[in-house]
Amino acid sequence: MAILPLVFYILAIVTITSAVMVVTSRNPVYAVLFLILTFFNAAGLFLLMNAEFLAMILLIIYIGAVAVLFLFVVMMLNINLVVLRQGFTSYLPIGGMIVLALLAEIIMVIGLGGTELKVTAAATSPISYQITNAEAIGRVIYTDYVLAFHTAGIVLLVSMIGAIVLALRQRTDVKRQSINKQNIRLPEEVVELVKVTRGRGV
Amino acid sequence: MEFIDAYVIPGAILFAQMLSILLPLLIAIAYLTFFERKVIGAIQLRKGPSLVGPFGLFQPFADVLKLMSKETIIPSGANKIIFILAPIITFILSLVSWAVIPFDEGIVLANINVGVLYLLAISSLNVYGVIISGWASNSKYAFLGALRSTAQMISYEISIGLVIISVLLCVGSMNLTEIVEAQKTVWFIIPMLPMFLIFFISALAETNRAPFDLPEGESELVAGYFVEYSSIGFAFFFIGEYANMILMSAMTSILFLGGWLPPLNIFPFKWIPNLLWFVIKVSLVLFVFLWVRATFPRYRYDQLMRLGWKVFLPLSMLWVVITASIKIMFFD
Amino acid sequence: MAITINHYLIVAAILFTLGIFGIFLNRKNVIIILMSIELMLLAVNINFIAFSTQFGDLVGQVFALLVLTVAAAEAAVGLAILVVFFRNRGSISVDDINLMKG
Repeated sequence: MAILPLVFYILAIVTITSAVMVVTSRNPVYAVLFLILTFFNAAGLFLLMNAEFLAMILLIIYIGAVAVLFLFVVMMLNINLVVLRQGFTSYLPIGGMIVLALLAEIIMVIGLGGTELKVTAAATSPISYQITNAEAIGRVIYTDYVLAFHTAGIVLLVSMIGAIVLALRQRTDVKRQSINKQNIRLPEEVVELVKVTRGRGV
Repeated sequence: MEFIDAYVIPGAILFAQMLSILLPLLIAIAYLTFFERKVIGAIQLRKGPSLVGPFGLFQPFADVLKLMSKETIIPSGANKIIFILAPIITFILSLVSWAVIPFDEGIVLANINVGVLYLLAISSLNVYGVIISGWASNSKYAFLGALRSTAQMISYEISIGLVIISVLLCVGSMNLTEIVEAQKTVWFIIPMLPMFLIFFISALAETNRAPFDLPEGESELVAGYFVEYSSIGFAFFFIGEYANMILMSAMTSILFLGGWLPPLNIFPFKWIPNLLWFVIKVSLVLFVFLWVRATFPRYRYDQLMRLGWKVFLPLSMLWVVITASIKIMFFD
Repeated sequence: MAITINHYLIVAAILFTLGIFGIFLNRKNVIIILMSIELMLLAVNINFIAFSTQFGDLVGQVFALLVLTVAAAEAAVGLAILVVFFRNRGSISVDDINLMKG
């Protein structure tokens, strides 16, 4: 039995199973952990499709940063689950039917392996297999798609500033150390030498 | 017969290769704990462990026996599955990254083209062992230590990534073997000394070692995120931390100190085999790790975060820009 | 049986519909809604890369990279809003976000 289909089926089944557990978990921390498992297996699927750079970037960004963000928020918010699970079972049959209909329609369009997906236009940025995947993406993203690249950078900058501004809390009751203020302080302003006569005090 | 030829024999060879990396690594971790105590003892003008065996050389085995024979206690309010899973994750991740480290020319378990990204990804995943152990322990000290440690690790990962980018600019490939071979003329520590220092200090912070070990300092936070672990769980965290230390030393020596290359390609240096050069360099960096632990006081948490975000991040970004500009001006 | 692109597209379709299902089921829990959105974006990424490999065209991988960037940015801002809302109101149920209701 060949290895490649076996690996694909294992990765695909674990991905789908953990995605099911994400949406049906009672405990939000379990849901985030299953989301991490889903991303991990999706990175494995990317590797099978020869997109090694994107697989590693998925690991670094999604699992290493976004999921940590989710985990922090879930662990620090005190979530009252009883109220939140209301409506779970009442929406289950209708939601299930709609979702199954959607899935059936998509699979009908894709076909189950009989028909070929034909495309008539030539590839706009053909993949060259002589260079590594990262170098190939690099050659394209800085020349043909540089505007999209810069826009993505600006989107990240704006979202970073937005997240910091939203969540920043200026606390007035906590004393902070300012190293610059301490460094520019002169001894004359702080220390005063006084000659004390005996028996008199200051 | 075809089945055996196609799968069993390559599988057995792969298994033997993995064992030949993992077994010396585990013995190295055991003796690293011993040498840490010896080196710190020497710096503090005392003998380290010296009773068990000649010069105390059997001490690690005594430690392992002690840890294995202790009782494993799981706190009653703890989440059992995740509590047991956390040290397993830490242990597995610290061993998995050794698949891409090149020990000699052509001796590497997986010669992948995105080796550096793979190492960065695995060090990003190390955060999870910490945070879920802290949460699953159901203890305030553990949770607080875990949150602090996680925030520290993800802050210093960014400057590690930027330093790696400036090294990659000089090399042109993410393959670790090619990074070492690009240092045949001069090691990268000489043109990029500030980046070497920033990488080393960020590696100290990333592995939660002194002087950045506030989240796990015994006197500050009752050993932080692994306070509720005993015997095997504690042993796994310990092994994971020391394996991470050795991995960061190996990364430092590959990225900056020339991996398995001798300093000068002339006659006395060429007699020493390449693998031994690699071991010497990794040991040197590990010695500095231990030296720093015995020498410096601990950083306070806000000072630590300030260092990571306000000092290292701008410096490493600036250096990436400088490296790229110099490369375009003079070398293209 | 060889693995064709149809297999990858079906996996992506199932993930996408699971994301939608997650939004149906957890209508009140904002965090699970955000996670279902991440699942849908992941399914879209798998689709892009599957087509990129099939037709030998790098634009699929470039676009998947940009989708990844935007997903990370959106998760960050969404969670920041959630944290601020929780600080002010003390609950994350979607029903309680009705202060501007006329």
